[in-house]
Amino acid sequence: MMLGGGATARKPIGRTTFHVAIVLSVCFALLAGAVGYWSVVEAPGLVTSPNDAAVINAARTVPRGAIKDRDGNVLASNKKDKNGESYRVYANRAFSQVVGYASNIYGRAGIELAYDAELTGLASDPVADALAKFGADRFDPKDVTLSLSSDLQKAAVAALGKRKGAVVMLDPRTGEVLALASTPTYDASAIANPDTARDAFAALQDDPAQPLLPRATLGRYVPGSVFKIVTAIAGLGSGAITPATTYKQQPAAEKTGLLVQGFRIRDGHHPETGSTPLDLVHATEVSCNIYYALTGLGTGGKALVDYAARLGFGQPLPFDLPTAASQVTNGGGSQPGGFTDDVELANAAYGQAETFVTPLQMALVAATVANDGELIQPRLVTALSSDRTGTRTVGPSSMGRVISPAAASSITDAMVQAVEGPLGRQFTTGAKVPGVTTAGKSGTAELGGTGEPHSWFIGFAPAESPRVAIAVLVEQAGRGAEVAAPIAGDLMARYLSSGP
Amino acid sequence: MTAPAAAPSRTPALPRLIGPIRPRPRWVELRLLLLVAAALAVGSISLNATVNGEFRLYDVQGIVIYVAGLLVAHLAQVLAGRRTDQILLPTAGMLGGISLLLMERLPQDLVTQSFFGTTLTLAEVQLLWLLIALGIATTIGIVVRSDSWLRRYKYTWAAAGVALLLLTFVFGTEVNGQRLTLDLGPISGQPSELLKVILVVFLAGYLSENRALLVEQDTRVGPLRLPPLPYLAPMVVMWAIALGIVVVQRDLGAALLFFGVFLAMLYVATGRFSLVIIGLILFVLGSALMATLFATIRTRVDIWLDPFSDPLGAGYQVVQALHAFARGGLLGVGLGAGLPEIGGRPPIPAVHTDFPLAALGEELGLLGVVAILGLFLVVVERGMRIGAAAADDFRSLLAVGLALVIGIQAFTIAAGNLKVLPLTGVTLPFISYGGSSLLANAVIIGLLLALSDKGVEPPPPPRVGSSRRWFRRGAAR
Repeated sequence: MMLGGGATARKPIGRTTFHVAIVLSVCFALLAGAVGYWSVVEAPGLVTSPNDAAVINAARTVPRGAIKDRDGNVLASNKKDKNGESYRVYANRAFSQVVGYASNIYGRAGIELAYDAELTGLASDPVADALAKFGADRFDPKDVTLSLSSDLQKAAVAALGKRKGAVVMLDPRTGEVLALASTPTYDASAIANPDTARDAFAALQDDPAQPLLPRATLGRYVPGSVFKIVTAIAGLGSGAITPATTYKQQPAAEKTGLLVQGFRIRDGHHPETGSTPLDLVHATEVSCNIYYALTGLGTGGKALVDYAARLGFGQPLPFDLPTAASQVTNGGGSQPGGFTDDVELANAAYGQAETFVTPLQMALVAATVANDGELIQPRLVTALSSDRTGTRTVGPSSMGRVISPAAASSITDAMVQAVEGPLGRQFTTGAKVPGVTTAGKSGTAELGGTGEPHSWFIGFAPAESPRVAIAVLVEQAGRGAEVAAPIAGDLMARYLSSGP
Repeated sequence: MTAPAAAPSRTPALPRLIGPIRPRPRWVELRLLLLVAAALAVGSISLNATVNGEFRLYDVQGIVIYVAGLLVAHLAQVLAGRRTDQILLPTAGMLGGISLLLMERLPQDLVTQSFFGTTLTLAEVQLLWLLIALGIATTIGIVVRSDSWLRRYKYTWAAAGVALLLLTFVFGTEVNGQRLTLDLGPISGQPSELLKVILVVFLAGYLSENRALLVEQDTRVGPLRLPPLPYLAPMVVMWAIALGIVVVQRDLGAALLFFGVFLAMLYVATGRFSLVIIGLILFVLGSALMATLFATIRTRVDIWLDPFSDPLGAGYQVVQALHAFARGGLLGVGLGAGLPEIGGRPPIPAVHTDFPLAALGEELGLLGVVAILGLFLVVVERGMRIGAAAADDFRSLLAVGLALVIGIQAFTIAAGNLKVLPLTGVTLPFISYGGSSLLANAVIIGLLLALSDKGVEPPPPPRVGSSRRWFRRGAAR
């Protein structure tokens, strides 16, 4: 008992002290909660952020995981500089747009950026992370395996040659991207090497050909006639047309052009088709603008935009690399779907007007038709592996059904006719894969003015059980049938002859 | 209140410096200290295993000297034979030991100080201060047997405190836009650290004297029932001083600490919740006003609201601290394995003063931080227990107030590290690098030890004397 406790009769302060103690305890509990919030809840995002000190530090000291193609060939490996810091070496310029670069000066691009945390060895599952802390080395760099075929990728870049353009090839059944070429390419090793980085990067930034731009995923182009496949999908899908639909305006309008609100839509195939009324297959074979303009008007702007959205239009595609959003219209108009008027809708239906697409998006259009109307998400990374944590594979995932298998089959017939039909062979030379039924559609995208049009081709093969879908774009190279189509034919033949 | 009819004497007994020595064993303290020594040894070995891959103590000399210091402090108290608290020393000692381990593991050239020709680096300086702090705490805990020197001269103390504050205002040097440091030749100190102790002494004296009045009398202002207004004068003065600190020192942390301790002690003494509410409203209004007037404070608030908007610029330290907690996760990366250095520097420049908790959060994880927060709560709990058991109001309020200083200060800086509150410049008691902070907290521990003595000399009888009458006259003017 305390001495002197009875000296004064006083109101005890124990009760109020207790209140204060409770308040302070609650405050400390709040702190504990805050620690938990940052170290557990928010931790996965923070520890993989490029601003994290460990990530910055690891980038300088820990060798990154390798990047490999589908056959295990190494596309990105490491070397050590004179200070002992490691830097990246890339196997071939053909992959630069996909693999990107990792530089301590200029940051990261491509897969090196998208999978930075995994390549650095910071991202893992929490259990493995907790165990890793007891080991001497806390970094667990993963090797990233891509679905790319080195052979196809190099062939695609070689086929584009000195022209600006893009090639996208993918397996329509799994979404695995086989080739993702953009030209011109650049030497990523020169950016990654600290000795040459500054000069190399400055030169690339000043280059008017924009070699740093991955055209296949971020380039947006007028599609021209390859967009007619989207219109066909929307027309059949919404029930606006059937494969047998013909228009009574045809063939009369073909001579002088179809007048839509004062705008005259013309065609050049009349001498060949004469007085035959064109259905879906034959209109596609000769790439009839009037047929597709009428189909677009019949389908309506809303349905056209909606079906395009099912194909991935309107927002960046879900992909391992950043992608640009493709559009049917810029959406500023008051008509359904955002079109200004019927003229814009009619023009958009055959890929002119305010329609802009990425080569990857058009490859997905072909792949959707090839895969019986179901869209499979495109992907590059198929596996992440390390000695410590083993291999994690990434499987295919569906982005949903766009049209019925029957409708897809009708469009396949039309696309086969466009490549193999008697008139299609004239319009689209060189796309045919020898000995294999080939489906496709060429496009010649008018840019207005005097410039040469963009040359397009999308297609797939074999038509009966497709194993590869392709989109080829060559900037300002002339007619699609003459430039893009032969490239596509060669590349598909190369793929189909090599593999099972 | 009834005073004993015959008070033995009005003349204050001089503190007896040396009494008869009757050693009294302190087994609880010894056992806890051995636990602390074991924990520090494990920590030091773990640090060495991570840094050098060797399975032995990281800094044999440092740890041995520190643990020896703790044991000497223990032995001194055993010899003194006082029946003081046995939990406080091991708890504060553990926090100090964690500080030593942390300072040993940070880049040593963060701090270099020259004393009489020898140059000491971070861990050495911190060890020196820790030992001095131990000495001060133990000395006060043993020697102080009477509190009359504190309670009698409370206005003198208050005046000294204000003078100290004014000195800093006038002669202080500015660091990071805050005027906190007073340079005295080779030694620089932060007077606001000592000021917080003086503040508690003054408040304990003032409130214990006027407690009955504050509790029992009312002034009605509309629907509110308030204590007699003249006695609220100190509250307004405190408010002004707190805001003055904010204005001149640009130090939100010290203002928050002072005002928080003041409000808590006011509540403990009076049990009036309305006072706390009014005080909080005044503080928030004042702070908001200051934030609109001063860019430095506004910047801090902006950083607090969204540090990630400028992660490499203004928000850098706060963001890096949050990253450090995130890297630590549940269990931490282990002592010595955290704080990846970028270009040879730790990612948080002020890690040893303002962000030790973030460093510990990374290396010891959520569990480690919770344990450290728990140690602070133990100190607070001991202080409050001592206060509740104390013989009179002054001692109660003094003990509770001193404990609150530690608790609120730890909360303020920890909350700043964790983006719960804006970051402020106060130190984490016992852990942050810095002599002023360690010495002030050592004084607090020493006073708590002395107050906890169950055999301490009885307090002097309450005085119905001069000071109260003086204040009434003053208030009536």
